[in-house]
Amino acid sequence: MNTTTLFEAPGPRGRRRHRVYEVASWVILAGAAYVVIRILNKNGAFDAAAWQPFGLWGVWRQLGIGLLNNVRAAVVGMLLSMFFGCFLGWGLLSKRKMVRYPCRVFTEVFNSIPVLLLLFFISLVLPAWGLPLPDFWFLVVALSLYSTVVVGDLVRAGVQALPHGEAEAAAALGFSGFQSMRLILLPQALRMMSPALVSQMVIVLKGTTLAYVLGGYFELLRAATVLGAYYSRSLLQAQGIAAITFMLINIALSQIASAIDRKEKQRYGVQPVALDE
Amino acid sequence: MGLVVLGWIGALVLGTVLAIMRVSPIRTVRMAATAYILVFRNIPIPVQMVLFVFGLPLLGIVFPLFPSAVIVLVTYHAAFVCETLRSGLNAVAVGELEASRSLGFGPFGTMRHLVFPQAFAVVVQPMGNVLILLVKNTSVAAIVGVAELTFTADQIAIEEVQAFAVLGGALIAYVVVCLVLKRLVASLDRKVAFKK
Repeated sequence: MNTTTLFEAPGPRGRRRHRVYEVASWVILAGAAYVVIRILNKNGAFDAAAWQPFGLWGVWRQLGIGLLNNVRAAVVGMLLSMFFGCFLGWGLLSKRKMVRYPCRVFTEVFNSIPVLLLLFFISLVLPAWGLPLPDFWFLVVALSLYSTVVVGDLVRAGVQALPHGEAEAAAALGFSGFQSMRLILLPQALRMMSPALVSQMVIVLKGTTLAYVLGGYFELLRAATVLGAYYSRSLLQAQGIAAITFMLINIALSQIASAIDRKEKQRYGVQPVALDE
Repeated sequence: MGLVVLGWIGALVLGTVLAIMRVSPIRTVRMAATAYILVFRNIPIPVQMVLFVFGLPLLGIVFPLFPSAVIVLVTYHAAFVCETLRSGLNAVAVGELEASRSLGFGPFGTMRHLVFPQAFAVVVQPMGNVLILLVKNTSVAAIVGVAELTFTADQIAIEEVQAFAVLGGALIAYVVVCLVLKRLVASLDRKVAFKK
């Protein structure tokens, strides 16, 4: 909101009052920070011994491998879900009820299932059906099932946001339904969706940490916990580093998403497509 | 499911406070709210859960399991609630604000009579999405062993052989809950929508 309309520019007395409030809130924040640091310090969180493992190259290597595994699962999951999501979106747009309704049901169902439960389900049921995959694939399958549905809905929204003339012109030029989708509608829709896709990447990356429960997949959170088992004093530090790493990556991705968003708006004057979540 | 109710109430309260902080005229207050959102929205909820449950006891801060799951759900979703509310506040046209101010409403009067009624109506649908997100994320409490639906289903599934039936049942339960919620939100949305 434009705060200057809610509060008119303060006069001299108002400015003075605001300055007092500002100082007061700084004091409160600093006090809170002091309490946190004191608790951390009292329990030896800043002791050299607790940070000592982080002087070792191998420790960072393990954490790095963990992060790499997160990113790998997220990227593979995202690519798969973009591929299948395009088809799902196409199905959602189909004129035939026989195609559209099953796609709708599929979307609603997988939109409602928590990824974690899906992960449990897949990791217990697939081996029982004689598909003993490594944990990596359990994670990727669960994430991409969930994400396909989101991407599919995005594709639907993106194509519907295009002017009708696009599809009609393609039909008039003799393109088949598939050709028109692949060559004309999808490229434009994907372009409009790109900020939402990057945000989806953030969600998928956050989702990869669920693999923690599988135990067999060495992702960053698991790596931090394993580290804590070796160096019992450093568990908190390791997990804190994991949390901060995720935070930084996700902030960066969100920034990229909004940068693309701004650029698209500037260049085409169009509102990029987004689902509200 | 107590997780959902408690988590939702907490997230709404904290989220509203944060949203008000974000439009405050005092810069430090705005910055604190922004920092909160950056931190808690971007750390994956499993990481927050593990850090809270296994990390904090190392500092001598021990919560029982269930409250700590609730706290993590609240802190995570409050950030989303706040962002949603803020987008609702943004949806109120600037001209209306100016009109209200020039009619002599103060900042709080404007907020109460003009901004909030409109913002809440705009926000019903996205807020419903946050609620559904919360319902789904309660399953994450299973990671640390809170006995909710996913955890219980997984335990039974590991002990019994019929993993398929038990977990399938849990899946269906989630689908039903989410779809019912979605319907309720949609009808509420229709009820409060402005006629344009």
